[in-house]
Amino acid sequence: MALLELKGVSRHFGGVRAVDGLDLAVEAGQIFGLIGPNGSGKSTTVNLITGLFALTSGSIAFDGRDFGALPTHLRLGRGVARSFQNIRLFGQLTVWQNLWVAQNSPADHAKRGFLSRWLGGQGDVREEISQLLEFSGLAHKQDELAANLAFGEQRRLELARALATRPKLVLLDEPAAGMNNEEIGLLRDRILKMRAQGITVLLVEHVMELVMDVTDRIAVLNFGQKIAEGTPSEIQADAAVRKAYLGGETA
Amino acid sequence: MLDFLQSASDGILFGATYALIGIGFTLVFGVMHKLNLAYAAASVGGAYCGLLIVKVAAGAPAFAVFFGAFLAGGVLGYLVYLTCFHFIPVSNPLAALMATVGMLLLIDEIIVHETDGVPLNYPAMFDDVMLRVGEFTLRGDLLMVFVVSMVCMAGLLALLYKTRLGLATRAVSQQAVAAQLCGIRVGRVNAMTFVVTGLLGGIAGAMIGASVGTLSPLLTTPLTIKGLIVTVIGGLGSIPGAIIAGLLVGGFESVLQQFRGVTERDLYVMLLLFVFLVFRPGGLFAPKGGRD
Repeated sequence: MALLELKGVSRHFGGVRAVDGLDLAVEAGQIFGLIGPNGSGKSTTVNLITGLFALTSGSIAFDGRDFGALPTHLRLGRGVARSFQNIRLFGQLTVWQNLWVAQNSPADHAKRGFLSRWLGGQGDVREEISQLLEFSGLAHKQDELAANLAFGEQRRLELARALATRPKLVLLDEPAAGMNNEEIGLLRDRILKMRAQGITVLLVEHVMELVMDVTDRIAVLNFGQKIAEGTPSEIQADAAVRKAYLGGETA
Repeated sequence: MLDFLQSASDGILFGATYALIGIGFTLVFGVMHKLNLAYAAASVGGAYCGLLIVKVAAGAPAFAVFFGAFLAGGVLGYLVYLTCFHFIPVSNPLAALMATVGMLLLIDEIIVHETDGVPLNYPAMFDDVMLRVGEFTLRGDLLMVFVVSMVCMAGLLALLYKTRLGLATRAVSQQAVAAQLCGIRVGRVNAMTFVVTGLLGGIAGAMIGASVGTLSPLLTTPLTIKGLIVTVIGGLGSIPGAIIAGLLVGGFESVLQQFRGVTERDLYVMLLLFVFLVFRPGGLFAPKGGRD
């Protein structure tokens, strides 16, 4: 059974059908790509899955249970985390503290009592946080304020913070935007490492080299509807996809 | 010169209570980006509730009254959150602001009604102690007010900077959406902020009662205004700013009271506010960027 299953999902803003009758099934352990021209509804889909937008119609199931109506923090509790296209770090907290905040995730609630969770010190999470710092190559910057980091470092911190909530599924919203080739290569390695650790990834991305390289399966959106789905090589050969990207509008 | 030093030091010691009130305004603003105009009134209300302890157990020690005010302040803070913020949609910020004005007047009216508008005596501690250095004196009760206020501030800073609860609070103030995605319940953090500022407010109200010797419903409006002035001078959202501005305003008004009289004093406090608004509109410690 699919880890994440969207059935007939729609979100309308007034007369605009940002997402319209979308069906999507992401299997556990997959790296699933979601691509499409600008304005095709990719980010809206991510916001619907994390609960930042309410569904107009349709249903979303995660891990076999419906969760289309849950508030955001409870969806996180089921194991869904994300990074943002426009970076949303806690700018006036240090790198280390940004990861410490995420240690409040519901996964931790089961592990720690109320008092030790809220009033506890930093001691009991050091190990986990240093692993995340290692993973994202930010160990030497741990006491820097997040606002003072370079752009690429901020993106890495976003990813690390999403992982700090111990998710089953991570939604990456254009993680490679603004990165150079070397950084994209490192990002690629990290995404593959996440899959190796058993984390399912939904990758929304414009950088096609990256998408074609790492994904197991790809869905293509245009005007809020799915126009194609398949393996990377199937998608590259698909006529409708070529038309959506090269035809009517700019990619 | 001695007069100046004497009134300045008395004022700075008393200014610690202004600092507490300023922190209450600034912390709620920092976390929710909203003004809670009922805050000073709720603080005075908390101080009044502390007096109930004396009513129940006549001759209860001053310490018990202060502690009662502290707890009652927290409860009132939560009630203000529920009535003025919890059920009012975020998309209508003016409604929340007006609700707090209504709450300010409501608390005021309740106090007037319950006390028939008559000032009540408030207990103090160490009011018979006097430290002397030559002609210069330090009143024991004012020292107590200062120390208690400082201990509360230290406790607040420890809570904000050393615990995960504090971290969550700061995370919400900087990036509420991302905080939700880190598992933080924004509504809970907002409610906690009101409880914590309410506790501080209750203490501030009790300390004001202790140093003045009486509590009166006439306190609520001037205290609201002083709290807002302290918040603006310190820099909206800045806790260190509120502390320093509180002591500054306390010392400033005490000196002017000494030399220009009690009726003229607040004129100069207002002028001080305008000087700051013109020359340093962000306040002493305008918070750096990084907020959304």
